Amino acid sequence: MSWSKIIKVTTAISLLFPLVGCTGGEKEVEEAGDAKELFGCNVINIYNAGEYIDESVVPNFEKMYNAKVNYDTFESNEMMYTKLLGGNSYDVLVPSDYMIEQLMQEGLLQKLDQSAMTNKGMLDPFVIEMQKVFDPELEYAMPYFWGNVGLVYNKENVSEDDLKTQGWDILKNEKYKGRIYFYDSQRDGFMIAFKALGYSMNTDNTEEIQAAYQWLREMNETMEPAYVTDEVIDEMVNGSKDIAVMYSGDATYVMSENEDLGWYAPEQGTNLWIDAMVIPKNATCPGLANAFINYAISEDVQVKNTEFVAYTPVLTKVIEDMGGEDGDFSEISSFIPRTEYEKDEVFHYNPELKRQLSDLWNKVKIN
Amino acid sequence: MKNFSKLIYPYVIWMTIMIIVPMLMIVLYAITVRGNDVLTLQFTLGNFLRFFEDSIFPSVLWRSLKMAFFTTIICIAVGYPAAFVMAKMKPNNAAMCVLLVTLPMWINMLVRTYAWRGILTRISLSSEINVYIGMVYNFLPFMILQIYTSLSKIDPNLIIASHDLGANDRETFLRVILPLSLSGVVSGITLVFLPAVSSFFIPKLLGGGQYVLIGNLIEEYFISTGDWNFGAAISLIMAIIILISMYVTRKLDKETPEAND
Repeated sequence: MSWSKIIKVTTAISLLFPLVGCTGGEKEVEEAGDAKELFGCNVINIYNAGEYIDESVVPNFEKMYNAKVNYDTFESNEMMYTKLLGGNSYDVLVPSDYMIEQLMQEGLLQKLDQSAMTNKGMLDPFVIEMQKVFDPELEYAMPYFWGNVGLVYNKENVSEDDLKTQGWDILKNEKYKGRIYFYDSQRDGFMIAFKALGYSMNTDNTEEIQAAYQWLREMNETMEPAYVTDEVIDEMVNGSKDIAVMYSGDATYVMSENEDLGWYAPEQGTNLWIDAMVIPKNATCPGLANAFINYAISEDVQVKNTEFVAYTPVLTKVIEDMGGEDGDFSEISSFIPRTEYEKDEVFHYNPELKRQLSDLWNKVKIN
Repeated sequence: MKNFSKLIYPYVIWMTIMIIVPMLMIVLYAITVRGNDVLTLQFTLGNFLRFFEDSIFPSVLWRSLKMAFFTTIICIAVGYPAAFVMAKMKPNNAAMCVLLVTLPMWINMLVRTYAWRGILTRISLSSEINVYIGMVYNFLPFMILQIYTSLSKIDPNLIIASHDLGANDRETFLRVILPLSLSGVVSGITLVFLPAVSSFFIPKLLGGGQYVLIGNLIEEYFISTGDWNFGAAISLIMAIIILISMYVTRKLDKETPEAND
């Protein structure tokens, strides 16, 4: 989880302290009007994943609208959902695709004010196509970051031939026993097994689920993988093990920190995911929330967020600028994930399947 | 003096809101079906049956109990001699040692366990041994301090008397010091065994996710799966086991003579 984040953030803050006086000199933000006059309220609560925004974005927005933003972070979609059900009121949430689908089905979201979304014309067409999987009319969500899942590997110790010929099955190749980080989530775990076996990752066929369960059990027994979540980022930067299952955005970050690492998205297919901004039904200041969402997909903010987070932005121009020849991430293959590949899929919300896979995933790890 | 008894009210209110009500909610979740609302509660024992139907859940429970048991044994084996030596020191040196034992506790447990992660990933031990190291490291101070307190409460005259009556050092230890210090050992056991059996972040951080204990299961079902009913049932099963073990240690405590009473 994010113990690593807590420590990183604390260290970062303490390192920054003596420097605070020297910063500044940033260009002044343009005022966009007074939130109270425009929307009748001037406070919004934003709930986003941890380490998922550039530090200047919220203060700039506050200045633009003479508003106050309460910014809070979560570790996982499920944690966010729990908080939301607990009665906490938020104006902007940034969950993933399948979670937005769930929130929509449960009637917890309100439609975005499309007239306020003046920046949406710059969205990448492929990103919009992905959004249609869970929000067919493009009414409820506004993309934030996106990517896929693949393997980060140490180029010196892992043969590229093995990767290309075996794909996900390299995670069962005993040559790499004890040198693997596996992502500790039933979603990603079963996705890999389903894809390795050639099934859809949204299957609810009992035989296919059993086969995937067997695949994972064998992997667990023969390979002794370490099950990790966010801490894998630091561990791969340090080069602790040779292969790790990772989100493309995290891969981009670790590869920019450690040149020995490479990225491979297996041809058996993988999970395409998209995180997007939504407004819950019980939001207290939807007007300002819509203004924030539109601000978050402006080119300037997308560039800043991408520089800080290293995930893939949602505006075509920013993707091309930063991934192109002179961009910050020009050499890093995970920055622009594979698109238009038929074996890549987006997750769907399926509560019964989720419950079944959770039980099986616990069994995989316990054995 | 009678009026002072009213001072307990704030604590009673606090306890009701913070302990009793949440406990009742856990019970309620554990015996109801998923997706209920308040008006249509559907009761069930299915959550408990689900726990015992599948051998993996009891096996995790057994593993947690075993782990907590051995952690406690190791803490006694390491902590008793340390406390014994401390109790024999001059008061100033003993105070220094107490300070040294408590010193690590000034830093958050999580940060210290995270530091162990950094050390242990560089030495490849099995994940089980890693978890034991983390457990013993985190809980040992509680054991040492409890035993030290009970040892230092023993009246030195009792030891002198024992020697006067012809007992050698070994006999004095076994027949005087050890029985009088058992109450410290018993409260040490409570302070080590209970947190050890329910610990979830030590196995999570040091076991590389391969070493699942009951605390991790509960966390998993509440946070990742979102199945609060089953998570609550597991919590309740554990709470019952903890109650039983507290009852047993209490009984042990009563059978040992108190040092100063």
